[in-house]
Parts: sequence; structure tokens; C-alpha cells
Amino acid sequence: MDTSRRRLKDTFARISMRASVLFINVLGLAIFCGLLVKAGPILARVPLVELLFSTSWHPMKGSFGLFPFIVGTAEVTLIAMLISIPLCLLCAIYLTEYVGRRSREAARFIIDILAGIPSVIYGLFGVLVIVPVVRAIGESMDVQTTGYSLLAGGLILAIMVIPFIISISLEVLRMVPGEDRESALALGATKWETIKHVVLRKAYRGLLASVVLGFARAFGETMAVLMVVGNVAEVPSSVFDPAYPLPALIANNYGEVMSIPLYDSALMTAAFILMSMVAGFSLTAHYALQRIGLQGHR
Amino acid sequence: MLVLIFITQVALSCETSAAEHKTRRDAVAAEVKGKIRVSGAWALYPMMVKWTEEFKRVHPEVRIDVSAGGAGKGVADALSGLVDIGMVSRELRPEEMAQNLFFVPVVKDAVFPTVNENNPVIRELTRMGLTKKAFLALWVTGSAKNWGELTGVSNSQKVRVYTRSDSCGAAETWAKYLGKDQEDLKGVAVYGDPGVAEAVRRDRSGIGYNNLNYAYDMKTGRPVAGLHVVAIDVNGNGRVDPEEMLGTKEQAMRAVQSGVYPSPPARDLYLVTKGAFKGPAREFVKWILKDGQKYADDIGYLRINTSQIKAALRKVGE
Repeated sequence: MDTSRRRLKDTFARISMRASVLFINVLGLAIFCGLLVKAGPILARVPLVELLFSTSWHPMKGSFGLFPFIVGTAEVTLIAMLISIPLCLLCAIYLTEYVGRRSREAARFIIDILAGIPSVIYGLFGVLVIVPVVRAIGESMDVQTTGYSLLAGGLILAIMVIPFIISISLEVLRMVPGEDRESALALGATKWETIKHVVLRKAYRGLLASVVLGFARAFGETMAVLMVVGNVAEVPSSVFDPAYPLPALIANNYGEVMSIPLYDSALMTAAFILMSMVAGFSLTAHYALQRIGLQGHR
Repeated sequence: MLVLIFITQVALSCETSAAEHKTRRDAVAAEVKGKIRVSGAWALYPMMVKWTEEFKRVHPEVRIDVSAGGAGKGVADALSGLVDIGMVSRELRPEEMAQNLFFVPVVKDAVFPTVNENNPVIRELTRMGLTKKAFLALWVTGSAKNWGELTGVSNSQKVRVYTRSDSCGAAETWAKYLGKDQEDLKGVAVYGDPGVAEAVRRDRSGIGYNNLNYAYDMKTGRPVAGLHVVAIDVNGNGRVDPEEMLGTKEQAMRAVQSGVYPSPPARDLYLVTKGAFKGPAREFVKWILKDGQKYADDIGYLRINTSQIKAALRKVGE
């Protein structure tokens, strides 16, 4: 009697865990397929090449070129990552290798608060502080800009992504066993040499994972970016020009979906492209890590 | 003695009928309950908030949720059934009407062009105003590059044009005035009416457009601190005539009322729903068309005229 009860619980646990995994995967697939179905009408009417590469966005006249938005998304994310990755890495290394537990916990506390601030508050901060700063930078470089620009979007995105990358990086670096560090120091290596050749080598895989997560978050961040990025449907020619990422396009215009034919289908296509960009990026990173051979075994 | 009895009878019957009236009125007032969801244009938002307050005073049982997000969102939410009442600050499109959109006008207001109060050519702007040609050069063709070009003085400061990023009535109305659609308007696009006002407040060289109640301060009746409302030189005589002046909210409302201020950018504001207004929402809309009209003056909107009100009430089904 006892054994069969225990076996029942074991089976039940296994089934419910399998069901959860299945549910999550089905959910992702459902979103993917749902977007594809809703994007159907416009994909049938407008050639894919025009949708992806045309720079003319005039839905009332029937032209749906998503190229400026795709480029805008890629560029604003790239700027955000270029700013945040070195900053986060250096910060995480300093917090694990150079300071004591008390300071680390204090820094952790502040980082957790930053991670919890709502997107629209970051947007307000962007409008009140970042935009004038970008305008001032532009003026000091003799560039005419309103401040609402690719750079402003990248900056606010970097600030939003920093807490995530740092938290994960901290965990990853702490998992490197202390003995490895001590062995290196015993062999005469300086602190920095230890970090570079031992700690980072070991934590490489986890750090890359944290960066990928940061990227995924940055691709999709909507409200804060749309408040500072300028929202002009043209490919930006400099970082001081306004840009228009895909999430901003969807958030600004879903109010029009009822009134312009094919508009809702066009926005679903934009959403599908955004999802594909994020998925494609994650898959590439996954594949790259496997090729390097640092992943594959648990 | 008989007189006394007679008087007492009359007094008693008066009281009874008064009591009957009161219970009947209470019955009607208590009837309206439930939840009303409203969303849509920033332009109507201040007025809707006031109407909600006053309506709840008469009908305390009802709950009303109001949110802003642009006229486009109001239409989309109403058509998909997400809200009971949508607020719209532009003309409705044939595609929207084809989906069984029911609408009534409720008040009027207008969109006004705004610049920073420390604009490089503020003296010329105050004296001469700007013409429709200037607006076309700013928002449609992009050919006006500096403030000197627009006002005929030598000033090489670049103009920075702002417009709305969210699909909204203000942009659509402004674009209609210039013969275009919102998507044709050039300029850096900012989210929300307060967003554009903020952008222009912080940019000496900026020019944008705002709804009446975001351009003017509700308490003082003057333009919001940091902004100057540019008069439109309608008759093209190169100066701002007294009836074209927009220095205070009163002057602006008078200009719209008299028809001197062009329409568009002055326009009717609508409440919409899918099919027809039902339940507590219907009572609310009827109240707005009858008792709600008097609050328009305080908040700073123009009333629609009596024939419009009568037609609207007939449509809602009195």
C-alpha cells in the first residue's frame, strides 16, 4: 500500500512537470502561429520584399514598407548593448572580486530597485533628463537635434537593461570556485590576470547567456523608448536623428487598426518580424555557444 | 374650524405629492448603476473627467472608468467592445462607419499651433501670426528651415517641428486643415498631447500643436507656462487682427465660436460606440447631452448648438 502511494505521487509529479513544459512550449508556438495567421492578409497582397525592404510607410495610401522600423529596432538595441555590456561586465567583476559582502549586498539592493521601476517612469526620466542631455551633446558637436533621437532611445534602453545583465553576471561570477582563483594567485598571477585568464574563462558561457537575455529584453522594450526616440519613419542617418523601432510602431498605431484596411495585418506582420528577430538572435547565440563547445552537457 | 380642516388637508396632500415626487425621483436616480468604461481622445479627457464627477454626484451607484490613449484607440476599443463609450476628436472614417459605429457630437474645441514663449522671433509672431502656407511649409513639405523664412526677418535659427506619434484626433484634425493625413505630417513625433506641450516648452526653437485644454491653463486662462499660442493670420493681411487673437482662452473660444478660427482645426468632439448606447452608458450620454452641457463653459469647451443636441438626443433614443 505504501509503495504504490509513493509511486503514484512520483508519477503524478512527473506528469505535471511534463505538462508544464508542454504548456509553455505550446504557448510560444500559439503566439507565433497566431501572428502568422493575422499577418496573412497583407502577406498575400503585398510582396514580402516590399514589406521588408521598402522605406515608404504610408498606410492610408497602401504602402507598407517596414525597413525603417527593422533598422530602427536593430540600431537602438545595438547602441544599448554597446553601452551596457562593458559597463555591466566591469561592474559585476568589481562587485565579485574586489569588494566585501556588505557592499555587494547594498549594490544588489539598488540594482533590484532599478529592475523594478516601471517602463513609463523610465520614459518620463528619459523625457526630462536624457533628451535635454542628448540635445546638449548634439549642440556641443554642432549638430542640430531635438534630443528625441536614436541615441536617447539607446541610452534609456541601456539603463533599463543594466540591472538584468548585472544580476545574472553576479551569480555567474560567484559560481567560479575560489580554489581556481587561489591557484592562479599562488602561481604568481596578478589580480587582473587571475580574473582575465581564470574567472572569465570559466564564466564565459553564463556571461554570454546574460548578455543574450539583455538583448532580448532590449529588443522588446516599448513605452520608455517610444517616449524619447522621435518616432519618425525614416532610416536614421546619425545617432542624433529620430528613429522608429517596431515595438513603438505597434504601440502608437494599434488605434488605427479598425479604420485602415490591411493596417492591422501590417502591424501583426511587424510583430511577427520582431518576434522572429528575437528568436533568431537567441537561436544564433545558442548555436554559437554549442559550436564553441562550452554547452551541450549539463 | 372647517377652514382649518381644509388648510390641513391641502397641506397634507402637498406634502404627499412632494414625497411621491421625491420617491419617484429617487427611484429614477437609483436605477442607474453598473460600470461604464470610457477611453479615447486626449482632447475630450478633461471634459469627460468633469462629467464623470458630476454624474456620479447624481447617480452614486454607478462606476465610471476613464482612460486616454488617442482618438484611434477610442474607436478601436469601442468597435471591439472593450469600452462602452469611445471619445473621438476627429471626423469618423467611412471604414469605421461601415463597422456599425454609432456616434453623437457632445462639445466642440480646436487644435492650436504653439511655440515656446522665448522663441527667437516671438515679437514678429505675436504681431503677424502665421499663415496656412507657413504651416504647410513646416509640416508637409519641410521646406521652411529657419525662423527668419517664416517671419520675413533675418534669423537663421533652425525650426524644430513636433507632431504626435500616437494615432490621435489632434494630429488628424491638424493634418485635415492642411489637406493631408496624420501620417503625412513631418516632424519629431512625441507621445500624447502633454508630451508635445512638454517638448515645445523645453525647446526654444520648437513649434507644435495642442488641443485647447492643453495649450491653455485651465485656471488662469492664459497659455500654459512656457508656451505661446500662435495666431493664424486667416485673412492674410500680415498682422493679427483683434478677432484673430489667441492670447487667452476666452479669445480663442470666441474666435472659434465666431467662425474666424477655421474649422478644421476647430472641430466637433464625438462619443462613439458599437451599434448603440445601452444601459448605464446610454443614461450617461443622455445626461451629457442635457445636463452635462453647462459644465462645458467652466472647463473650457464650446457647446454644440441646440439643433445638434436635439438631433443627437433623437438618435440616442429619448
